[in-house]
Amino acid sequence: MNRKIVTLMVVVALLVTSGRFALAQSQVGTLEITGVPTDVAAGRYDREAGVFSADVREIDGASITVKLEDVEITGKTMEWRTDDNYLFFTVDARLTQDDFELTADQVEYFGEDKNLKAEGRVVVTTEDATVYADHLDYDEETDEALFTGNVRVVFSDGVLEGERFLMLLEKSELQFFGSFQGEFTDEENGEQ
Amino acid sequence: MAKIIIIALVVLAIAVYLIFHFFAEPPPPPVSVPPSVQLLESRLVGRKDGARQWEIWAQSVLQAGESVTLNDMDEIIMFQDDEPYLFIDAQRAVWERKPDILYLHDAVVRDEDETFYLESDLLIWAGSEETLASPESVFIRWQGLEIDAAEMLLKAQENLLYLKDDVRIRDGSMLWRVESAVYDLDQESMEFFGSLVLEGEVGESE
Repeated sequence: MNRKIVTLMVVVALLVTSGRFALAQSQVGTLEITGVPTDVAAGRYDREAGVFSADVREIDGASITVKLEDVEITGKTMEWRTDDNYLFFTVDARLTQDDFELTADQVEYFGEDKNLKAEGRVVVTTEDATVYADHLDYDEETDEALFTGNVRVVFSDGVLEGERFLMLLEKSELQFFGSFQGEFTDEENGEQ
Repeated sequence: MAKIIIIALVVLAIAVYLIFHFFAEPPPPPVSVPPSVQLLESRLVGRKDGARQWEIWAQSVLQAGESVTLNDMDEIIMFQDDEPYLFIDAQRAVWERKPDILYLHDAVVRDEDETFYLESDLLIWAGSEETLASPESVFIRWQGLEIDAAEMLLKAQENLLYLKDDVRIRDGSMLWRVESAVYDLDQESMEFFGSLVLEGEVGESE
């Protein structure tokens, strides 16, 4: 069992050291919309409201990508409110950084609140584990990532399932709420 | 002796007459030149219902047929409520009267406090359609935006500004690079066509 805990701690350590969702600092970023024919309008910017929106769902091979240093967010639709730095990606939403990847039906980033939310078929993949959930709520201030709804944490040698799973990234601490069940393979003995 | 000289002169005169009459080429017919009017150091004032609409001061104004050409212009001043609100500097202006098209070469258009500034090698104002086109590269500074484009078309009636090819729009810390864009001046919104790149500062300034 000690090995399982060590594996979990490795996941936490990886999340902590890579500083996953740090987007709020002032950074020079780029937004790219590629693969759009020249006669098709894919993006719109309302200067008065300070809102940029783009939709490439109907365009084969087109994509929207935001790059902030080594963080990359892609999707098929997006909205960006410049006033409060709010980003909203839907349809094939994906956030990647190095070996870390988050995919979900939609990803929202609240720049003023330093908060990131992912909803619908949330999958967080790292080198050592994959976390599945219905929702992810990450608070950049407290450095806490809360996974809720049908949570499954899959390691190479086991699975943990529950409803609520909190990663306290700064403290390298994992909290499981409610009933959780796990299944691990003892590699040395080949037992479960 | 005097008789001989007179006879010789008569023969010479007859010879010269015959040479010029039968052998020399006739003079070319006169070239048809349309009537034209040229004014120097002129100040032209356009009025509508008595109110001053525009004022042009030019070193040379040439009217030939339906075309009016102004050279070495000082400034064109457009008036609104009898107050100057738009100033146009251009090297040369040609106004085709019938189709009501005004060509402005090497033009700079600006308002009084330079919140609006437009620079183009060639501006074409089509009066009947109320469009202002720049078929060559254009630079516009307006409402905090700095716009560069290879081509521009302003539809004045619809208040739509079409920007084409290698369009760059700087809005504060944001720089849009797009293939083409349409700026709705009433709505203050931009539509981007084709692929685009936005570079800018995101997040808090610390």
